Amino acid sequence: MPGLLDSLDIASSGLNAQQQGIAVAGQNLANVNNPAYARQVLVTQAATPVQTSIGQEGTGVEVVVIQQICNALLNDQIQGENSTTSFLQTQQGALQTAQSDIGEQLQSTSATDTSTVGSTGGLDSDLSGLFNDLQALSLDPSSTAARQAVISQAQQLAAQFNQVNQSLSGLNAQLNQSVQSDVGSANQLLSQIAGLNHQITLAQGTSGGTANDLVDLREQDLENLANLVNFQPVANSDGSVNVVIGGQLLGSGSDVEDTLQTYDAGGGQLLVSTANAASTPLTLTGGSIQGAIDTRDNALASLQGGLNQLASQLITQVNAVYSKGYDLNGNTGADFFTGADASDIGVNATLANAPSTLQAAGVVGAPGDNQVAAALAQLGNAPQSALGNQTFSGSYNATITDLGSALSNANSNLSDQQAVQSMLSQQRNSVSGVSLDDEMSDIVTYQQAFQASAELVATLNTMLGDLMNMKQS
Amino acid sequence: MRIAFNSFPDSLVNQLSLLNSQQARLESEVDTGKSVSQLSDNPPVMQQVLGWQVQNSSTAQYQQNISALQEQATSSYNAINSLQTLSARASTIATEAGGAASPADLAAYASEVNQLIQEGLQDANSQTAQGEYLFGGTRNSQPPFVATTDASGNVTAVTYQGNESVPSAEVAPGYSLSAQVPGANTSGNGPAGVITDSSTGADFFNHLIALRNDLQAGNTQAIASTDQPALAKDEDNITAQISANGLIQSQLNDASTVASTQSTAVTQDISQASDANMATTLTQLSSLQTAYQAALESAGSLFNSNLSLMTYIEL
Repeated sequence: MPGLLDSLDIASSGLNAQQQGIAVAGQNLANVNNPAYARQVLVTQAATPVQTSIGQEGTGVEVVVIQQICNALLNDQIQGENSTTSFLQTQQGALQTAQSDIGEQLQSTSATDTSTVGSTGGLDSDLSGLFNDLQALSLDPSSTAARQAVISQAQQLAAQFNQVNQSLSGLNAQLNQSVQSDVGSANQLLSQIAGLNHQITLAQGTSGGTANDLVDLREQDLENLANLVNFQPVANSDGSVNVVIGGQLLGSGSDVEDTLQTYDAGGGQLLVSTANAASTPLTLTGGSIQGAIDTRDNALASLQGGLNQLASQLITQVNAVYSKGYDLNGNTGADFFTGADASDIGVNATLANAPSTLQAAGVVGAPGDNQVAAALAQLGNAPQSALGNQTFSGSYNATITDLGSALSNANSNLSDQQAVQSMLSQQRNSVSGVSLDDEMSDIVTYQQAFQASAELVATLNTMLGDLMNMKQS
Repeated sequence: MRIAFNSFPDSLVNQLSLLNSQQARLESEVDTGKSVSQLSDNPPVMQQVLGWQVQNSSTAQYQQNISALQEQATSSYNAINSLQTLSARASTIATEAGGAASPADLAAYASEVNQLIQEGLQDANSQTAQGEYLFGGTRNSQPPFVATTDASGNVTAVTYQGNESVPSAEVAPGYSLSAQVPGANTSGNGPAGVITDSSTGADFFNHLIALRNDLQAGNTQAIASTDQPALAKDEDNITAQISANGLIQSQLNDASTVASTQSTAVTQDISQASDANMATTLTQLSSLQTAYQAALESAGSLFNSNLSLMTYIEL
């Protein structure tokens, strides 16, 4: 039969357990605004009983563990969705920049008349402007003003090609830089995750409990890594997590087995490999790194290629017609455009200061002859076999519409993805998030239990006092 | 479902952000009047609208081409019409001189024909507003007809220094018209010459010179047998030129009507495809603003009430 002192031990274990409970609730409340925090609960059980002649007698309560409430499946899902979201965000950002670089925007031509529109600042109006000016020249081929208008419009078109090409090349360089920077960040995170794995293994091995806060920190790093590159997490029995990227094991427990690195796949286009398998591209399917690579190598490459092909074809076709013409001085054989593609297209420098050298006539000594000017103007409506039998404007419109479609898809996909991620986040919040009501309820519960245990101690104290008094009397 | 402390603020921020972006899009539609303004707004529509814009821009240029050609045709008509008056007068003189005319009458007629030659030269060397010669073909920077005179100032020969080519300009895709005619065509190929044309036998200045010479010489027989039929050919040629000019003007008017109709239709297409439906847009905007206000009010009310178990517990 237990004595009063045994009962004091029971009361003491109760006081300890409730204090621990208050501490856990306090920790939860302190981290209420920490998005990486998973709420904790105190798990208690009855202390090991002692066998007596009348059966087992309790010895109080003991704290088993401070348990973290989280759903590993949800965490894995969120990591995966982070990769997808980040991929789409990078894609959207780059494509939006490209759209701005192209500069095609429909605007009402006047505030009062919204029915007529014009695109401003884009190649579309410059292209049609050139062919219209050539039409005007064909009406009055010896006119200096008409010649000057053609030359100025062509210079503007060439400058616009150069500018768009330069902007897109700049964007390309930014994406390469972003890949390089993200690879550096990913390596740093791999190292941090390995370090945390080490600490978690150590802590859990020593105490036998769960290193909740370290696990939270690692989860945050894993999610940050997922923003950069998609990976497969593999949980180990010792509490550590392996990181597998593109089928390659990079993080194994507390060791970093391999790191990511960039390499030049040609033309300054960076790809990602592991350090141990240099120049063998990793197969990535998500994250900002792949978002940048994918956008650069698909939508942007296609856009830049389309514009280069357009410029190249424009140079070839215009020069082929133009070089056979005659200027007002009877000279022939010069080219109108210089350069090879959008990066270096220009207008023959001689024309800038000498409009009379523009070769608009088809025969020598006939200033009113407009054969070449008219043939050049008609190129505007002529399907070009090298451009898929589209006109110059048609080819340009198709090229930029592909960009618009890619951006529209990215916008739509990102919007859907954000909804998915928001739902998952809410779901995780409902499992792991801190609720003030829950915590307040727990605090009251623990406080009252603590008061009861304290009351028991006081009662036992009185009883012990009574016993002592009995002996004195 | 268990609601954590951050569930509501997170959800509120997401919802407000969504409503804000939708409002911004609709406000932009109201501001610009366009439901499609960027490539990504609606790529297929944008491609269509850009194509229509190019078409409209080309049509506007065709309309300018048509206007310029109409001006040329009108100038040509005025000059040819004047030449027709001269030709008719020359034929009248030839008819009257071929009958019973006195030597004094013949001398007066000769003097009048000299005058007709000078006036004809002026008409044949007519210029456009830009200073180009109407009947010089494509060699139009110099007077196409140059007269040679004798010591008395009489024109003894007229030389054509233009050519037989005439420039044409597009008035519709793949359809070109020319409002000009050459002063002379001695090859028989291409458009007929106004003054000289080998295919019709017209040679107005030489025929006028021959008439004048015969009038001065009193050779009434030659006037009747040679000059009169020759001048009739000139008159026929000039009449044909006026008829051809009328045809060109009619074609230009037709082309202008087609271009104008196309421009209107394409502008309507652009409007239908890209203009915002203001009634719908404003209604949607109003609904969104109401939703936004409701979200703000409910959020404010929840935050202000500060309700939780904590409010009711006294520890």
